[in-house]
Amino acid sequence: MADSIYGLMARFDSASEIFHAAEQVRNAGYKHWDCITPFPIHGLDGAMGVRRSHVPKFSLIGGLTGFTTGMSMIWFTGAFDYPLIVGGKPYFSPLFAFPISYELTILFTAFATIGGMFLLNWLPQHYHPVLKSKDITRGLDDTFYVVIEARDPKFDLARAKALLTQAGAKEISELEA
Amino acid sequence: MSTHAATISSATVSASAPASSLSGSANKALTLGIIGLVATAAGLAVSGGKAVAFSYLTGIVFWTGIALGALFLVMIHHVFDAGWSTVLRRQFENWLSCMPWLALLFVPLIISAFVAPGMIWKWTDPSYDLAQVGGHGTVAQDVLWVKKSGLLSTTSLVIATFIGFAGWSLLANRFRTHSFTQDTDGDIAHTHASRFWTAVGLPFTALSMTLCVILWVKALDYHWYSTMYGVWFFAGCVRGALSVGMIITVWLWNRGDYKGILNNNHMHSHGMLMFAFTVFWAYITFSQYFLIYMANIPEETFWYSLREINTDGQFNTWGYVGFFLLFGHFVAPFLTLIHYPVKLSKTWMPRIAAFIAFVFLVDVIYNVMPSLKKITGDAYPFTSINLLWIATSVVGVGGVCVWAYLNSFAKTKLIPIRDPRIGESLTHHE
Repeated sequence: MADSIYGLMARFDSASEIFHAAEQVRNAGYKHWDCITPFPIHGLDGAMGVRRSHVPKFSLIGGLTGFTTGMSMIWFTGAFDYPLIVGGKPYFSPLFAFPISYELTILFTAFATIGGMFLLNWLPQHYHPVLKSKDITRGLDDTFYVVIEARDPKFDLARAKALLTQAGAKEISELEA
Repeated sequence: MSTHAATISSATVSASAPASSLSGSANKALTLGIIGLVATAAGLAVSGGKAVAFSYLTGIVFWTGIALGALFLVMIHHVFDAGWSTVLRRQFENWLSCMPWLALLFVPLIISAFVAPGMIWKWTDPSYDLAQVGGHGTVAQDVLWVKKSGLLSTTSLVIATFIGFAGWSLLANRFRTHSFTQDTDGDIAHTHASRFWTAVGLPFTALSMTLCVILWVKALDYHWYSTMYGVWFFAGCVRGALSVGMIITVWLWNRGDYKGILNNNHMHSHGMLMFAFTVFWAYITFSQYFLIYMANIPEETFWYSLREINTDGQFNTWGYVGFFLLFGHFVAPFLTLIHYPVKLSKTWMPRIAAFIAFVFLVDVIYNVMPSLKKITGDAYPFTSINLLWIATSVVGVGGVCVWAYLNSFAKTKLIPIRDPRIGESLTHHE
């Protein structure tokens, strides 16, 4: 039975309801679940037990790559490939390579951040099983949903239903796989 | 929001805990300050007027910078009609109580320009013999002074310093009065009045601060040109004030005052400002260096040469100080403040803040002290007895600032309880 559905979708009517429901689902130990809300709710990530994102690691790598690229590019063009004296300055100095390195640090950090965010969120994602539900549009408008996925190791249809009911769900529906 | 603000009012936020212990601390700070000032004065007998005057100038520019930074932060809060920083603004307002005292402490330097012209600022005495500092002729014969003599005169010095301190003290007084009065009457007119004074005060402070720092510090070596100077000082001032603010925040947090008032997001936002101004300072300081390096004009490059090599080509101690500024004022704070958990840490943030304030002092020393030149035109080494007079001056002026702050702190509420944005601030990002 549990194999044939994607998961359970429970409706809540307010931000505070879903906030407390999220805390209960978190405490029940589920891993594969999500909240669908029409707007960002401050502190919901904490209530869901979501840890800090890994995006900054991508940013750091991007930044270091950018800085190194800038420095080595100026060294390569000005001191290695075609040594040329400009304005009586040395062939290479980190000083005049700094502005370009700094620009590339920012540029590569931005690319890595956006790229890392897309990668970690599995974006772009043109289809998601919750889209099969007709009600989901309301989750983008005026109502709130908690979705617990069947692939969660703790998932048991009856128990998950009981948990959501206890958490105050107004309506619980099963999502097709 | 308003109901939330009402519930936390007088019950939890009384006019600050044990008043007796606080006034005790305030008196200790004042005693320490007076000891510092007396020790500095005693230095006159040991190292002579010139060295001590330069050291005292370093100390007072450092603390005036921090006070100006606090003034800017209060004004920036008002000009953006900011919400989240309302709870933190009160401590900056308390800090501003030192402004008139700084004016008073600056007076000896102004008097010295009359009693011993040329001692600190060579151009206060046009007959000053430049041979004493490795030059030739007198100031009056120096074309670079003649061209700048419209600004570089004792009259300008006195007028600029007076207008500066008078204006800053007036602004400090206005922001403090309006904010403290609002605690009792809750009248929104005080918020509007503060906004008015900000509109007047921001351009005024930007210009007067630039003018004063040019006359006080930059014109110690009056040959020099740099269009970045005012902005450089502004960046340093705000970093100093944010650091003092962070130390105060964590002090009050650990004392328990901020229980239920501040949350992690205030720490995060405050830390982000410190991070942003770290990058801003680096940007400005690097730009100043870079433009001078690229243009390579002697009237500009000598300022950095003096701080790196002696006339015989020897690398001097100021070169190491320069590298310390690069790594200590930019690289180290950048790499630590960039981490989210560090910005929330009550252990790390006051340490980082104290370090940034310390390096701001080193930055001021780097700008002031090398202008105290030997007869060869070289700077006296960084490590000298003058560091002691700088230390006594910093303790002296700082003691007075801390005393003024603690006195003001004891008399006012912990947060602006009836500010229209207080509710928003208490629930910052929650």
